[in-house]
Amino acid sequence: MRSAEHVPAAVLDRYATGGAGIGADALWAIEAHLEGCAPCRERLGEAVARRSPETVSLLARVHANLTTEMARSRQMPARRLPRRVARWVPPGLWPRLAMTLLVVAAALGLDLAGSRVLPSLVLLVAPVAPLLGVAAVWSVGLDPAHELVVASPRAGFYMVLRRSLAVLVVVMPALTAAGWLTGASPARWLLPCLAFTAGALALGELIGLRVAAGALALAWTAGVITPSILAARTPLLLEPASLPYWAGLIAVIAVALVLRRDAYTGLRSDTWFVR
Amino acid sequence: MVGCRLSGCEGQDGAVTSMDEENLVRRVARGDRGAFDELYRRTSPWLVVRLRRRCADDELVAEVMQETYLAVWRAAAAFAGASVGGSAVGWVWTIAARRLVDALRRRAREAQLPLAVLSATAAPAAEDEVLDAVLGDAMGAALRRLSPDLRQVLQAMVLDGLTVRETAVLLGVPEGTVKTRARRARIALREALS
Repeated sequence: MRSAEHVPAAVLDRYATGGAGIGADALWAIEAHLEGCAPCRERLGEAVARRSPETVSLLARVHANLTTEMARSRQMPARRLPRRVARWVPPGLWPRLAMTLLVVAAALGLDLAGSRVLPSLVLLVAPVAPLLGVAAVWSVGLDPAHELVVASPRAGFYMVLRRSLAVLVVVMPALTAAGWLTGASPARWLLPCLAFTAGALALGELIGLRVAAGALALAWTAGVITPSILAARTPLLLEPASLPYWAGLIAVIAVALVLRRDAYTGLRSDTWFVR
Repeated sequence: MVGCRLSGCEGQDGAVTSMDEENLVRRVARGDRGAFDELYRRTSPWLVVRLRRRCADDELVAEVMQETYLAVWRAAAAFAGASVGGSAVGWVWTIAARRLVDALRRRAREAQLPLAVLSATAAPAAEDEVLDAVLGDAMGAALRRLSPDLRQVLQAMVLDGLTVRETAVLLGVPEGTVKTRARRARIALREALS
């Protein structure tokens, strides 16, 4: 309550000394007013200094103790991320995103250092690059607060999509930059990359996101990356000719994803694979 | 420019005195001792007077004051980080009220505590009539007529923002009694206002 009238000096003096003689209603008005009025608090301080020496000595004693206590205690750390950023990315995701960037940087380094005989490693890694982050988007084992998250009103399919988008927003520019340096144009890996992200989400509806992402990454590594390196040629799957098939695959996955979107509500009860 | 940076410290100290309390707390969150001292200078007389009207034991009040300002120093980032803007003074009072209840809870095991008598029998002085306008005549009269027991409960719950459980600790009565008195006070006020 903020009132236009300030507290009269005589009342303030009586309030400061703790003396009786102020009606209950006036006391309420004074306390409510003082909480919102800096000049009156200032005048109250003067009144205390003038009228109540024992209060002044108490305050000085508390301040002296505080000085020693404050030297010993540590301050709570300030929030590292602005709230807007923290809302998009759970804390457990940051190390994974950093790891992804490191992998892309390593592939880039090998590409730049190695001869032109091998196919571009950046191109080979690009389709599965988001999976490391996507695995942590909705998982019991990787998010300590997962049970709380599940119970929150914004949880569900929408949140999974939003967090996946946050992963892509970080990973895509890194891939684009690395691809630009090595000559792997986004046109060749963009659709496979999206297909794997959506595929992991769709497969995750059946067997859990973490396992789905792991399985897809493993399959791509064993089935495409390793043979391509051994044979030293770019796989057919990443040639421009196969892009229409990737587009068709994305469409099919998107339909499956939306049809079974309710899988991302609540905790998974069948836990033989996740822990 | 270099001169500015060198004398930056003095300039900041000069600015501290003209800041409002919210900005002071934000500075405290960054570890600024000057801002903390200014905040203490501005708010501690108000806080100590308000606490002493709720607890007659000066030692306990000193303890609560120290804990409160230590908490302000340590947790200033919690206030500064909150996206909803609030009154820093109200925040300090919330901490102090909770600390007072905690301290009373600790003491309650050891001894019965003398509570400050909240000006039960006071004739309204001439100056008070200026303030009557703030609460309104009907409301003020109703509050004055309320018995001290009921008024204490209302004060703790409405003015100090405590819960039923905390009010019970502060006043040293069972929770059920607090609820009953709050209900009776509400009924009395409603009757007086209708």
